[in-house]
Parts: sequence; structure tokens; C-alpha cells
Amino acid sequence: MQVFLQTLVGGLSLGAVYALVALGFSLVYRTMGLVNFAHADVLMVGAYVASTFSMTSKLPFALAVAAAIAVTALIGVVIERVLRPLEGKDFDLMLIGTIGFGIVLESVATLVWGATGRAVPSPVRTAPLHLFGVSVPGYNLVILGVAALAMIVLSLFLERTKRGIAMQAVAMDYEAATSVGIHVGRSNAIAFAIGAGLAALAGALVGPLLYVSPSMGGSLGIKGFAAAILGGFGSVPGAVVGGLGVGLLDAFAAGHFQGYSDLVTFVVFAALVVIRPTGVFGEATVNRA
Amino acid sequence: MTALVNRPAVARGAALALLAAFGWILPYRLGSYDMHVVDIALVFAILAIGQGLVMGVAGQINLAQIAFFGVGAYAAAIATTHYGLGFWAAAAVAVPAAALTGLLVGLPALRVQSHYLGIVTLGLALAFLNWITNADITGGASGIPGIPVPPLGGLDLSSDYLYYYLELAAFAGALAFGLFVVRTPLGRRLRAMRDDPLAAGSVGARIPVLRITVFAFAGVYGGVAGVLYAGLIRFVAPETFSVSDMFLLLAMVIIGGRQSLWGCVVGALGLSIIREAFIDLATDAQLAYGTVVVLMVVFAPTGLAGIPTRLAHAVRRRRAPDATQGALEPFLPYEPGTDAPFDRDEPPGAGAPLLDLHGITKHFRGLVALRGVSLTVAPGEIRGVVGPNGSGKTTLFNVISGFYKADTGTAVLDGRAVTGARPYRLAHLGLARTFQNLRLFADLTVRENVLVALDRTRTRWSWRYLLWPVGVWRHDRGLARQADELLTRYGLAQFGAAAPRSLPYGIQRRVEIARAMAGSPRLLLLDEPAAGLNGEEKGQLAEIVRSIRAHGTTVVLIEHDMGLVMSLCQRVTVLASGAVIAEGTPAEVVADPAVIEAYLGGAAMAGAPVSKQAETGAEEAR
Repeated sequence: MQVFLQTLVGGLSLGAVYALVALGFSLVYRTMGLVNFAHADVLMVGAYVASTFSMTSKLPFALAVAAAIAVTALIGVVIERVLRPLEGKDFDLMLIGTIGFGIVLESVATLVWGATGRAVPSPVRTAPLHLFGVSVPGYNLVILGVAALAMIVLSLFLERTKRGIAMQAVAMDYEAATSVGIHVGRSNAIAFAIGAGLAALAGALVGPLLYVSPSMGGSLGIKGFAAAILGGFGSVPGAVVGGLGVGLLDAFAAGHFQGYSDLVTFVVFAALVVIRPTGVFGEATVNRA
Repeated sequence: MTALVNRPAVARGAALALLAAFGWILPYRLGSYDMHVVDIALVFAILAIGQGLVMGVAGQINLAQIAFFGVGAYAAAIATTHYGLGFWAAAAVAVPAAALTGLLVGLPALRVQSHYLGIVTLGLALAFLNWITNADITGGASGIPGIPVPPLGGLDLSSDYLYYYLELAAFAGALAFGLFVVRTPLGRRLRAMRDDPLAAGSVGARIPVLRITVFAFAGVYGGVAGVLYAGLIRFVAPETFSVSDMFLLLAMVIIGGRQSLWGCVVGALGLSIIREAFIDLATDAQLAYGTVVVLMVVFAPTGLAGIPTRLAHAVRRRRAPDATQGALEPFLPYEPGTDAPFDRDEPPGAGAPLLDLHGITKHFRGLVALRGVSLTVAPGEIRGVVGPNGSGKTTLFNVISGFYKADTGTAVLDGRAVTGARPYRLAHLGLARTFQNLRLFADLTVRENVLVALDRTRTRWSWRYLLWPVGVWRHDRGLARQADELLTRYGLAQFGAAAPRSLPYGIQRRVEIARAMAGSPRLLLLDEPAAGLNGEEKGQLAEIVRSIRAHGTTVVLIEHDMGLVMSLCQRVTVLASGAVIAEGTPAEVVADPAVIEAYLGGAAMAGAPVSKQAETGAEEAR
């Protein structure tokens, strides 16, 4: 029981990170119909920038995270701007373009920070909480809190602000949105920037839990994507449920299968996609003849 | 004239001979390290051909090619070192193992495409990497050393120089087979599927089987490359099969030109050699090729292989900005069919109906698009389906042709129950259709568009590719003759080599009808065939439809141009809000109060054009 609860705690904190990654994916996907394959590398850059500011420049952790979000949002805008000519024309090419950006970001990170990677100390040094015989590190609570806050803010932005509603309109009908005077390019750029910012937030938060290296993004990215698919690639609550689901699957797979946890997670993910491509909450995409 | 015709063939033969000679003498000019680099580059070239087939030709985003490569290499390594098999016996196990892996990895392609497929295949590649770095049998992170040198007669294949010739032979075979596939019926179907899976299904391509097949092909290429790699390096370790190597392979294919196998080869050889040359600057090289990939997708999506064509186009446009490729020639009517001669004034056959729909209902979530539609079309009819926008006409066509599955109701085609049948099956049963918004295969020529539809073989026919390529080649020659006939009949002979998009709209419409008629269907569905046509073209269309009918093909057409409907159709079915509200001769239907109500809807202004068009139509008919 204790092992179970301990795994649960670990799974939930990683799950919160996956949920943030999933949100970034799904925000861009909803507005542009594009899966940003550079998302994982943006996350890695975010983790590096945050850890550099907090470790080398001795900035407070929150400020370092804000700086990381700003830097990656800029990267997001650049990616969108470069790939804009392909928008609405060839999604497969755009996808490959984002893979190209991923390659570029990974090599830039290697050039700037080296290939070896770094361990990031936890910014919260309080003693872990003990609840029902389970030790909960303070930092895990911070992750859960920050992730929850980010999701609430994002929901409010999408539902309550003019800009957010305009972005939803673009997602629903590109042409109709244009005809009522919404600047689609700008809307997409903002989606990309917010998506990248969410990735940076996830990267900055996960840095102290994992090891920050140029190739850290790969499996985080795919698991975040799996979370987005599980949640049905649309709503904020879907991403949260998907993220927590994948986090738990991941944690329990690590407990049972040790080194093979990635194998199990990815095969389960592939099987789920084959069985139910529209996710648990099901957002159907319609083929038009 | 003969010189003109033969010149390209001669030039191509000469170029091939030059390449072969270059390949033959290359080792005499290279140092041992350079030879090794070239050997590795050739392995990647074979791998890239497989990636080009699955991604460029068939349009399946596959990010697991590196895992197929790994399965081939590891299977060969395990079979030789662990089970003590000889190298070639191990190869005979490894290539099928890789093909099977391809098949399994391709399964998600049956349900998802594009981005989803990319991420799932990437996940499976990572799963494979996870397995080889952890399992005992794969030697974990340290890999498997001590793979034996492949024996081959008296040749010492531990020499990179001699191994090169083995690879060269395998590479030439792999490339020749790939090119053969691309240029014959199977490859055309794959390319048609890439451009428009729905339209490909409607001309008889069995999409799920094609997707799985092409993944198996990719697996075979990965397997062959893996075996050659194992025999060359005689050591395998996980880092060769990492995600960054997958992306490098992707870069090779994109930079070279994914739709051209030659392009893939050039990209693979070029990038492998550049990577070895800058081995000390590996990260900078990675930065460079990542940047080039981004620039390529934005500015040269067809890669290096596409640049000559793009240049030629630009030059031609500058030289003669207004030169269309030729002129549309008149349609040559079909000789009236011997099996089913129909006369226009004779009432349609009283025998069994060709198409019989009963009680078809189709919902989209809350919206009811069709409610209990029943429709009977006799052989030899030209049936009009009319109705206001949003009345469910196109939905009805999509149900008939198998794109949508009806919620309730039954469909019978030519005496066979076809309720819920897939589009490819309906196509084989004699159904063909055109689309409201034109769905021509954009990256195929007009001639190839027709060729895809002419090929009525089942997918399992493709075993001939492996065992009897001559049969494939002969079949293809036969199709080519039929294509020329068909293009001439539809007056399109001048446009055979043109890209559909470069043609005027009216000609594209005619190409789509020719494509639909290529399969000699029993029933032809035309979805707004006159939309966007000028008066003269409408007249030609009416002539074509009558000739098609006289030839023995029954026609059902959706049309808004009431004049055309009045003059062409013996019977007209009127849909409104998803239900049949009237059926009868054009004159009866136009006079029906329910029809007038549906079109006018109480607002007098909406009705005027309809009745006016009906009158002019009736006049034209006289």
C-alpha cells in the first residue's frame, strides 16, 4: 500500500508536467492543426535557460522560470514565422519543418551548454511532508500547484479574453475567422508563443526532478503528446486527465518493469491509438468528401 | 522524329552506364578510410530508399525506419553470435524479421495518419531502443561484438574494398526494384493514395492494405540495410539506432527529395559523406543540416531532385507566359454498347434496378443529413438529383459510394447487397464517381490519373512484383495503351503529361470524368459536373453524358443547373432537408407544389431563377 501511494505521488508530479506539455501541444494543434515536433526541444531549452539563470546568475527560481518562458516564447514566434508560408497548404511538410527546428535547437543547446547535461538542485529545500506514511517532497507540491495555476490561467485566457476567444474562433473555422477581421497569422503566432512558454514551464519544473541534457526532450515530448491524445486533443481538462494518466502509467510501469518502462509506455500508447484514435474524451475529426 | 523519341532513352542509358563505370572504378581511387565511409554511405542509401518509398511515395509519416534498420542488424547479430547461424542464414532470418516489424509498426497507420502516425512510430522506435539497451540478448548498452565475416566464395569480405562490391550489387538491386515499383501500377496507387486517399479508394485502391504493404517494404529495405551494416562493421550497439540518427535519415530524404528515389539516394550519400568529413564538428554539422531541412521545406519542398523541374518550369513561364500545353480536342463518342443499347425515348428498363436504396438515414451528431431516403435507379437511366443547398445530395452520394456508413437502411447495387461496403469494393463492383470540388491526384500527371483508375487488379495481385516482374511490366504496357485510347476519346491527348492543377478548370472536370470512366463502371455518379463550366462546355458535357449512357453506363447526377437537368435526365429525384420530396419526369417535378415550396420557401425572389432556367433548359432540349 505504501509503495502504491509513494508511486502515486511520483506519478502525479510527473503527470502534472506531462499535462503542461500536452497543453502546449494541444493549443498549437487546435489553432493550426499542426503538431509541433520541436515542442520537446523547446522544453529542453526552457529547462536549460531556467537552470542557467537560477544556478549561474543566482536569480530566484520564479524569475528564472519567467526568463525561460520569455526566451522560448520568442523561439515559438520564430518557428511560426518561418513556417507560415506552408500554413494551410501542406501539414506534412510543416511537421517535417518542426522536426528540422528540433534538430537545430538540440544542436544549439549542445553548442551552448555542452553534451553532458547537468543536475539541477531542487529550489525547495524544506523537509518532505509525511502523510499516511508517504513522504511527499515539498518540490512536488510546488510542481502540482504551479501546473494547476498555469492551467487555470490558460482556461481563463481562452474563455474570458477577447484574444483567447479569437484564437478559439480560428481553431474552429479559419476562413470565417478571417472574414470577421481576426488576424490569423498573429493568432497562430500567439498560440505558438504560449505553447512554447508552457513547454518552458514544464522543462523548468521538471529540471530538478530529472537530469537536464540536450536529449532530455525526446521521451518527455512523446509522453506529453500521448497525454494530449488520451485527453482527446482539445480541452484543458482533457490534457490534465491525460497528463495525470500517462504520469501514473509511467510511474507504475517504472515500478513493475524497471528499465523497460519506456517500452511498456510507448507500446501501450501505440495500442491505445490503434484502438481509440480520438482519445478517451473523443474529439472526432471528420473526413470531408 | 525517331531520333527525337530515342534521344532521352539513349541519354538515360549513357548516364546509367557512366554511373555504373564510376561505381566500378571508385575503389581504385580511394584510400581505406574513404572506402569505409563510402560503404557506410551505401548502407544509408538503401535505408533512405525504403524511407522514400514509405514517406515520399506513399505519404506515410514513418519515424521508425531506423528501428527497422536496427531489427535487421540486431537479428543478424543475434542469429550469428547467439544461435551460431551462418551469416547468410542469419540474413535470411533478419530481413523477414524487419519486414514483420514494418508490418506491425504500420498497423497504427490503419487508424491514424500524418502527425499522429509520426508520433506513434517515433514512440515505437524509442520502445525498440529501450529494449536493445536493456535486454541481455542484445548485450545491453555495450552491444554485440564478434559478428562473423560474411563468406562469399573465395572472396575475403573483411576487406572494405571487396565488401563495397557486395553492397553496390545490393544497392543497385534495391534501387532498381524501388524504381520499378514506383513506375508501375502498385507505385501509382501508392502515389494516388498519398495525394488523395478518398479519391484513390473511389477508383479501387484498397487503402489499408496499401498502407500495410508499404510499411512492409520499408521494413525489407531496413532489414537489408541492417544486415549489410552488421556484415560491414561486425558490431552493433544502440547508439547507431538513436532518434537523432532517425532525424538524420529524415534530413537525407527531405534534402534529396522525398518523392524521388534518386533524390533520396543523393541525399543519403551526400549527407553520410559530409557527416564523416566533419566528424570532429558533429554538432555544427547537425546544426547545419537541421537548418537546411527547415529551408528546404519552406523554399524547395521537392528537395534537390525537384530543383531541375522547378527551374525548367520557371524558364518556360518566362519564355512563353501564355503558352498552354495544347488544345482540348472534341470528345469522340463511344460506339453504342452492344450489351445494353438504350434509346433516349424508350422508358428505362422494367427489369431489376441497378441501384436500390431503401430507408437510408445518416446522422452527424445532432444533425440529420438524410432521413429514410429510398431511391431506385433502373439500368440505362440518366437520373437527376436536385434540391436546395444542404438538402443532403452529396451526403447521399457519399453513402452510395461507401465514404459514409449509413446509420440505417440498405443498399443494393446490381443485385448485390452492398450496405456498408468500402469504396474500393464498390469500385470493383462497377461504381465510379466524380467529386463536387474535384479530387484529382495533384502530383500525378493527367495520364497517370487515368492509369490509376484503369488498373482493376486486386492488391494481392502484387505478389507478382516479387516473383514475376515481367508479368507486371506486361500488364503495365497494356494499361498504357488503354490510357492513350481513353485520353484520345475524351479529347485530352494533348494534356497527358500535364499536372492537373496547371489546366483550366473545365479541362480538369473532363479529366475527372475520364478517370471515373476508366474502370468501365456500370453506374457513374456525377457530383455537380457542370459547376464552373461555361455554356459551350456544358453542351459538351451533355453530349459526353449521353454517350456514356448509350455505351451502357447508368448515370446519376447532382446538378444545380436546371436547364441541364431538364434536357438530360429522364427522371429527377428532389431532396429537401434530407428527405425525398418528389420524383418523376422533369416536367412533373417542376410542377410539383412540394418542390416549388422547397425552392421558394415562401420567399418569392428565390424561385425566379429556377423556373427561368427550367424554361430555357426545356427550350435547349428542343
